[in-house]
Amino acid sequence: MEDLENNTTVFSTLRSLNNFISQRMEGVSGLATPGSSQSSLQMQYQQRMQLEEQAGQIHSKSQLLQVEREKMQMELSHKRARIELEKAANTNARNYEREADRNQELLTRIKQYQERETEAENKLKEQMEMNKSYKKSMETMSKKMQEKESKLAEANETITVLKGKISELQWNIMNQEMQMTSQDSQKQELMEQLDIEKKKWQEASQQIQTLQASQSLLAEYEQKIKDLEQKLSQQEHDALIVKNMKAELARFPKMERELRQLREENAYFREMKENNGLLKEEVEGLQRKLERYEKVQAQLVTVELENEVRSWEHLVDEQEFPLLTPDDLSRQIVALQQRELALKEQNSTFMNSARMLEKARQQLQEEILCVQSQLLEEKKKREHQEALVRRLQKRVVLLTKERDGMRAILESYDSELTPAEHSPQLSRRMREAEDLVQKLHAHNTELEVTKQPPAPAPGLQELRPLRLSCQVTRSALAGARFAMLALKIEELEAERSKLAEENRSLQMKLESLTLQGDYDPSRTKVVHLSMNPMSLAKQQRQEEQQQLQEECERLRELVRVLKGGGSVSGNLEGVGGFQSPQEVAELKKQVESAELKNQRLKEVFQTKIQEFRKVCYTLTGYQIDITTENQYRLSSIYAEHQGDCLLFKASSSSGGKMQLLETEFSRAIPELIELHLLRQDSIPAFLSALTLDLFSRQTIA
Amino acid sequence: AQQQLGREHQGITLRGSAELVAEFFSYGINSILYQRGIYPPETFTRVQKYGLTLLVTTDPELTNYLNNVTEQMKEWLYKCIVQRLVVVISSIESGEVLERWQFDIECDKTAKDDEGPREKSQKAIQDEIRSVIRQITATVTFLPLLESACAFDLLIYTDKDLAVPEKWEESGPQFIANSEEVRLRSFTTTIHKVNTTVAYK
Repeated sequence: MEDLENNTTVFSTLRSLNNFISQRMEGVSGLATPGSSQSSLQMQYQQRMQLEEQAGQIHSKSQLLQVEREKMQMELSHKRARIELEKAANTNARNYEREADRNQELLTRIKQYQERETEAENKLKEQMEMNKSYKKSMETMSKKMQEKESKLAEANETITVLKGKISELQWNIMNQEMQMTSQDSQKQELMEQLDIEKKKWQEASQQIQTLQASQSLLAEYEQKIKDLEQKLSQQEHDALIVKNMKAELARFPKMERELRQLREENAYFREMKENNGLLKEEVEGLQRKLERYEKVQAQLVTVELENEVRSWEHLVDEQEFPLLTPDDLSRQIVALQQRELALKEQNSTFMNSARMLEKARQQLQEEILCVQSQLLEEKKKREHQEALVRRLQKRVVLLTKERDGMRAILESYDSELTPAEHSPQLSRRMREAEDLVQKLHAHNTELEVTKQPPAPAPGLQELRPLRLSCQVTRSALAGARFAMLALKIEELEAERSKLAEENRSLQMKLESLTLQGDYDPSRTKVVHLSMNPMSLAKQQRQEEQQQLQEECERLRELVRVLKGGGSVSGNLEGVGGFQSPQEVAELKKQVESAELKNQRLKEVFQTKIQEFRKVCYTLTGYQIDITTENQYRLSSIYAEHQGDCLLFKASSSSGGKMQLLETEFSRAIPELIELHLLRQDSIPAFLSALTLDLFSRQTIA
Repeated sequence: AQQQLGREHQGITLRGSAELVAEFFSYGINSILYQRGIYPPETFTRVQKYGLTLLVTTDPELTNYLNNVTEQMKEWLYKCIVQRLVVVISSIESGEVLERWQFDIECDKTAKDDEGPREKSQKAIQDEIRSVIRQITATVTFLPLLESACAFDLLIYTDKDLAVPEKWEESGPQFIANSEEVRLRSFTTTIHKVNTTVAYK
């Protein structure tokens, strides 16, 4: 501002100067133009000099002014500067304080940040360590991953193998399912047959059951019978036994009694022993008594006999027989018996005669019955024929009445007709009537001969037609006409009834047919919609059938393919429905690769094995062959004969322990066996010793 | 409803009778299809008609077919040229006719010339129709089982001089050989009389 002001004053002074100069110049120029140029030049030079002095004065004034102003300004500026400096100082102080605060804050922050830094560094370290550890673990994990991948690869291989197996199994399963289905169908047929036969079997079993039941019943009955028989026999036995026992039991009381008696006798005898003397005396006395008693008895016997004789004599006396002796009695008895016999014979003869008479009586009674029945029958016949006679008489009466009526009708017809036409017919009728009469006479005579009661009736009948014959001849034509009319009426009535029945049957048929749905084609017709559910259903059925047939043909082709067999791939294609073609192709490839692997492995194994065996042979000098499961045959490279070999048998399954078996060759080397195997128990030593031995032999030989 | 009330007051006209009979055929045929198991029972829905709970089909194709036939029947009943409507049930496999439901129609042809409607109450006709439909339901007890899958067809016996409409064609009467027939009830609107018979093998 001050500078600008200074400048503006300078410029303003300069401008005023220039203006002055220009004015002066103009004035100068106006004054001194036509003058000489030199004077003007001097004038100009003087003017310029003046001007320059003025200018210099002005300039110095202006400089003074300027300096003063500058001084003023300097003072002002000093003051201002001081104020500003103070302000600035204040502000600086404040700023300083603020910045001190800020510093402190920043310091604290720095400290915090340093702490954080340290923490972060620690964390970094830790994390670095963690990282390292993680890296290690990662490495381990990667190793594990590799292992697992290798395992996976193995697993995949196994999976491929298994898939191959699975495909094979699936193929087998398919085959088996086919067989299953065929067998199912067979099974169903067989099941049906089974059902039929089961039913038969059930019926048979039921019959068997009934039979068995009946048989069991029979057996039970038989058993019952046997039991009953046994029981019977037992009972008989028992009865016998019982009887025996009864007898014995009957004996038993007797025995008891005897026992008692014996005991009593014993006692008695004991008593008797004591009383022997007395008894002897008593015996003597008793003997005497006995003698007396015997005598008495003899007397008694005689007395009894005498009594008997007396009684007999009494009897004899009572019966009034002349004889008295028993012989006579016996003879009488005999005679009586003979009489008895004779009487019995008479009795028997009387009985026979009685029976004969009874028989004759019965026969006579039967004859009487027959005769009575015949009588009854003849009575019945008589009554029957009397009834016939009455009926015929009644008929005759009716006929006479009819004839009377006919007579009246005929007389009426006669009155209508002329007699001339009837005469030939009348004569004819007369002849016919006469023939009738003769026939009736003959019939009558026959009947009279047989003596039948109805004889009078035909006779009556004969009489009547004789009387009516003339009247009949008169009414012949009318009767014929009448008969014809009557016949016609009857025929017509029969026809009418038949027609009525036919009508009824036809109406019934019509009704049934209308119920069934019949119609009169001349008057009605049957319509229906073309698009009806029946036709739709039939169409659907046909379409279904066609589809099923196509499916059938497809399945038949599949079956043919399957039956044809061929490569596994072909079968898998045929199976096709189980797996998508991609999987099939993959599995095929896997299978092929697996097969190739197998083959290669086999070849490799074989070559390796052969190589190994050759190497063993060359290195150890023995060719080891496996003859049977656990037996190994060693042939030495230096064997003298081709058949020389040693046989070892593995005693344990792992082949750890071997035992030498006897062969011809082993018999030839017993010393070596004894030394190395039995004493030293070392098969390698034995084999090496043997090799050396054979080698030495060979080289020597 | 107003029309029905009108009918109740006014009696039965020829057109009203044709409508009633055609309606009866529609519900009757639905009942027969349900009872005989021609279509699966789950395709039927319940409606109230004639004071009964009847089952009608929900199958759109079938409903369309029945409506076509019913409309045609209405027309022919009005013209009194139809004699009989037959529901033929036959086996799809063998094509053999197993059952025949025959509705004989006797039309009073003087009704065309009459001026006024006839006196018969709607209720009485409904009662008669109800008894016929109940009887149709009851016949299931003695009809033999339809064992194979069956389809049905509707045959209409008309006068010989009828012009066969576009989608219709003539056919045979489709009798049953050795059939048993049973007459069911009939109902009449005084203009049309419908006799029902069922014939089965």
